[in-house]
Amino acid sequence: MAHSYVQESIKNRRSVNRAFASKFAKSMFIAVSLLVILSFIGTRMFTHVDLNLYGYVVGTFVFIGGFFYRFIAWGERPPTKIFMKKGIRLLFRKSTPKTTANHLGTYQFIWDRGIYRWTQHLLIGWGVILSCLVTFPLVFGWMYFTMEENGYYTVVAFGMDVMRVEADGWLAFFFYNALNFTAIAVILGVCMALYRRLKHMQARAEQKFIYDFMPLYLLLFISITGLALTFMNVFLHGQGHYVMSLIHQYSVIVTLIYLPFGKLAHIPFRPLSVFARNYREHYSEQSMKKCKNCSTEFVSTEQSRDVRDVLHENAIHFDMEEGFNLAELCLPCRRKYRMSRFSGKPTHKVIHKEANQDAKG
Amino acid sequence: MKKRLYIELENCIGCRSCLAACTQCGGHEERNRNYVYDVNPLVDRQTMPLMCLHCENPACARSCPAQAIQIHETGAVLSALVEKCIGCQNCTIACPYGIPKFDTEQNLMYKCDLCIDRTKDGIPPMCASVCPSNTLQWLTEEEIEQKEQQHKLDNDKWVASMPLEGRTEVKVNLPGILQGTEKLF
Repeated sequence: MAHSYVQESIKNRRSVNRAFASKFAKSMFIAVSLLVILSFIGTRMFTHVDLNLYGYVVGTFVFIGGFFYRFIAWGERPPTKIFMKKGIRLLFRKSTPKTTANHLGTYQFIWDRGIYRWTQHLLIGWGVILSCLVTFPLVFGWMYFTMEENGYYTVVAFGMDVMRVEADGWLAFFFYNALNFTAIAVILGVCMALYRRLKHMQARAEQKFIYDFMPLYLLLFISITGLALTFMNVFLHGQGHYVMSLIHQYSVIVTLIYLPFGKLAHIPFRPLSVFARNYREHYSEQSMKKCKNCSTEFVSTEQSRDVRDVLHENAIHFDMEEGFNLAELCLPCRRKYRMSRFSGKPTHKVIHKEANQDAKG
Repeated sequence: MKKRLYIELENCIGCRSCLAACTQCGGHEERNRNYVYDVNPLVDRQTMPLMCLHCENPACARSCPAQAIQIHETGAVLSALVEKCIGCQNCTIACPYGIPKFDTEQNLMYKCDLCIDRTKDGIPPMCASVCPSNTLQWLTEEEIEQKEQQHKLDNDKWVASMPLEGRTEVKVNLPGILQGTEKLF
């Protein structure tokens, strides 16, 4: 009996591993093929590849490997799986664009946590996003510049001539210096973040070098070496350019490898907050769960059931002798029920509002 | 030496010093994270505190889709990591004691972290530091062992922390009335 159980569990683990491997292989294959096909189109059948940037291509492929490894493992956790599955189904809600802009664009919730933190996050966040939007199209040849006529650059996107700009015009100035501007934004944001990490007591108590400081130093490393490249070209007549460009490439690739495993992993994971908001809104409209004790509606029926399923999968059961599950009580009733378990008096049965919980320090 | 939060529930006089002290902990941003309840409202004045009991297998962390609730090496179940919490409120539904609080505007859960900036260096949490009635105490394993002996019953069972839903880092002592013993002061 025990033997068959052990066999069963080994078999089970093997099939889980196999499912993970096949999912990983499939995702890798699709992602790499997509990148190659897009490059093929973008570079007009590989005739406009910027070989100076090939290091970033290799770095990106390594990053994709790490990313899928982390992301698929994360998505296998029971609660994550539920939010991913139901979130995708609810993606086309009316409120999605607004929620997305709020959560991923303007960071309204960080503003509510503090204006200082919002400023630093805006500088770092948008600095990094804009840098990626400039860098990766150049790396994969989705965007490049040609000069057919003297004094004018043609911007080519996905093999199509999109626009023509004066080589010494103001628009071109912003094109050339986009990464310099974003680098300055990132450096400012990182300095603000570092200052906060030195001063904020909670941050000081919980921070770890690898988790909290390393991503900041990496971003600083990238931004400073990037700016140094510009400095060398403008003021030193290109002296040391090749060494610095290798150092810069190294800094970017190391960061890409680190990204899925440390604090920066919240960048690809964060869209789940839009899923979560949609999930809560949608299922609250469907039906609400009433507290077994006081009949207050406190959560959607769906979420209550999902959380209970997740806890069951983790072998956590909160079934009480009285014949209900703790998840069926609203939060104040759950606390009062605990009082009754502590004291033997039926606190939760007394209809009485919560005692004062707002003593100020 | 490892110390734990130890709660002698029946000592509580309802002064709410623990709530006030909680607001002053570094990083708690002037909001308290624990509770004080009237046990038998409208009948008598007995109160009891309720705080996170720091489960060894925390339902909140198990139900978190974003892995935002981390467990510190001291055993404290930490408040949600600000960059990871996606505001789904699964943890509030999962917690058997109804502890996690949720801030809708900040889209963030916050809960008792056992004042980790203090307890990681062996300093008692704010609530235990200020409690005037010894309801909340910060004790070593040996001291808790002694208390256990003091309350030992004939049936070989220590009633304290029995009625909880699982093993917890925080030790709770039940009122003497339930245990059939009387306090010696």
